[in-house]
Amino acid sequence: MDFPQNMSMEEAFALAEAEARLNAALQESKVRFDKAEMPNRLNEDWRFGRPHVYAREWAARFKDGENCFEYVGFDNSDEHITRLTADDEDLRQTEMLMPTIGSDALLALHLKRFGDGHVLYIEEDTKEPICLGYGTRWAASPSTFIMVAPGVKAEVAITYACLEIGYIFATCNIQVAEGAELKVRVNTWGDGADGRCMLITNIQNMGGKVAHLTEYQGLRWVREETVAEIYAPGSETKLFSANKLGENAVLDQHTKQIHHAGGATSDLLYKNVLDGNATATFAGNIYVAPGAHNTDAYQSNRNLMLSEDATVNSLPGLEILADKVRCSHGSASGPMDEEQLFYLLSRGIPTYEAHQLIADGFLNEAIEKFKG
Amino acid sequence: MSLVIKNLHARVKDGAPILNGINLEIPKGEVHAIMGPNGSGKSTLSKVLCGHPDYEVTAGSAEMDGQDLFAMSVDERSRAGLFLAFQYPVEVPGVTNANFMRAALKARLPEGEEVDAVSFYKELRGKMKQLGMDPKFTARAVNEGFSGGEKKRNDILQMMMLNPSYAILDETDSGLDVDALRIVSEGVNAMRAPFRSFLVITHYKRLLDYIRPDVVHVLYQGQIVRTAGFEMVDYIEQHGFDFLKTSEE
Repeated sequence: MDFPQNMSMEEAFALAEAEARLNAALQESKVRFDKAEMPNRLNEDWRFGRPHVYAREWAARFKDGENCFEYVGFDNSDEHITRLTADDEDLRQTEMLMPTIGSDALLALHLKRFGDGHVLYIEEDTKEPICLGYGTRWAASPSTFIMVAPGVKAEVAITYACLEIGYIFATCNIQVAEGAELKVRVNTWGDGADGRCMLITNIQNMGGKVAHLTEYQGLRWVREETVAEIYAPGSETKLFSANKLGENAVLDQHTKQIHHAGGATSDLLYKNVLDGNATATFAGNIYVAPGAHNTDAYQSNRNLMLSEDATVNSLPGLEILADKVRCSHGSASGPMDEEQLFYLLSRGIPTYEAHQLIADGFLNEAIEKFKG
Repeated sequence: MSLVIKNLHARVKDGAPILNGINLEIPKGEVHAIMGPNGSGKSTLSKVLCGHPDYEVTAGSAEMDGQDLFAMSVDERSRAGLFLAFQYPVEVPGVTNANFMRAALKARLPEGEEVDAVSFYKELRGKMKQLGMDPKFTARAVNEGFSGGEKKRNDILQMMMLNPSYAILDETDSGLDVDALRIVSEGVNAMRAPFRSFLVITHYKRLLDYIRPDVVHVLYQGQIVRTAGFEMVDYIEQHGFDFLKTSEE
């Protein structure tokens, strides 16, 4: 290691220690990825759909080459935002260590392209949402880091556009300090051709309030892995998703609400409207660590099925290793309520518009709760 | 110009017959009331006329100003001028009253035309005031979390906005307190016109004291068994429906 000439001994030691930690992390992540398997049906986290096909196609697209962004940017100038660079080793390390739910091998492909994206250090309240946008027609791996300082209120909106046959593999690391409040709304869309998206999110809540909403539309395939880690009493974490799935769409959502500390709440509501032969899989888990007493956690997956050819796999789960907790989960899937439909028709609203209104209304619950 | 029902037979799909040959004519400008004991087929008649999928017409016809009602879909019947105020108005979560009403009005416009937002809200708020409804209800989901009375008022609000030619009020008085009954009745009376008819289904005289019908029918076992003037309301109020069983014997 080369040290600058004017560096003090203490600074040199600190730098050396930092580099040693980074090397250890690199080694750790290398071991992790060497052990990682490409998705297959024997892996519980990739049980449904056609994981081998998607993973193979995904790997082929991301194995080589540079990120091909159609655009990267934000629509309001903000001093909180800096562009990510490939030599930001702290953030590379953060990303290497971010938890996945069965996608370590695919995350390794993402890390090969590390260096595009945004870093948001939010140290004062935002008046308007900070808006980020990424789009591609081929393959892109943006990374977003959001860090909110204690007591600060902020909103962030992220848009991913998978144009034509574009694939996006996005990661998002969110850290919320004590007393901070953050809302993150993630909208991912395609133009109906063959857009695909993987979104891996890690939320670390240190005693603040976080609301996170994902919305997907017009995409052929979506894989979402969201891990919310709750580290301090008083934390509030709310996870929402609201999606309309059309013909051939496959949505594969996996979530974990991990309560490391007691006295905190987490709430999840994922809702989908499925039409045609769309498929939605939801596998969620609430984990309450030993000693995380007085946890209050809830998880709900609701699906409105407009077609008999649509498929839903819903697997809510609880793993509770503490006492005095209140945890529950629910799942319900069913067709449109005939009485609701008749009511709208009886007011002269045509069938198609009535379906759309009821479907939008069904999803609105999640969106309105996100807005608070 | 009238609503003409001839020899109407209907049943619950794959179930027992409920309407057994109803004959009824409601000319434009008149208010008709239907009374009858529980289970006589009053609500079934209203749902069959509007095309509820749970019911099946097995014989007979219904024409609205010469148009075959049963040849039209549910939404077409509404746009042609038929309205049903539900006995139990349905909750539609997530769809605001304003969006719901706007969609219903837009469906009545030529394709591509939009509802003018300014005049729409002005009219909506004006009619809500008339019915004693809080303006905040425009932003609330249709009937979600409403009390029974609020739901009924909301149905009457929809009727006032949609201006139907033939309105069926199915036990609109149930769930309304005295003041709400008066307000709703005043709203209905304000809509009485030579170009509009009402069919009021009720068990109780108190609604008909406010919305005074021109003709009163008694429905029993799926048939209209009596047709008379307002004196029938007084008679039923005093004697109940036992006279139907007596005449059956």
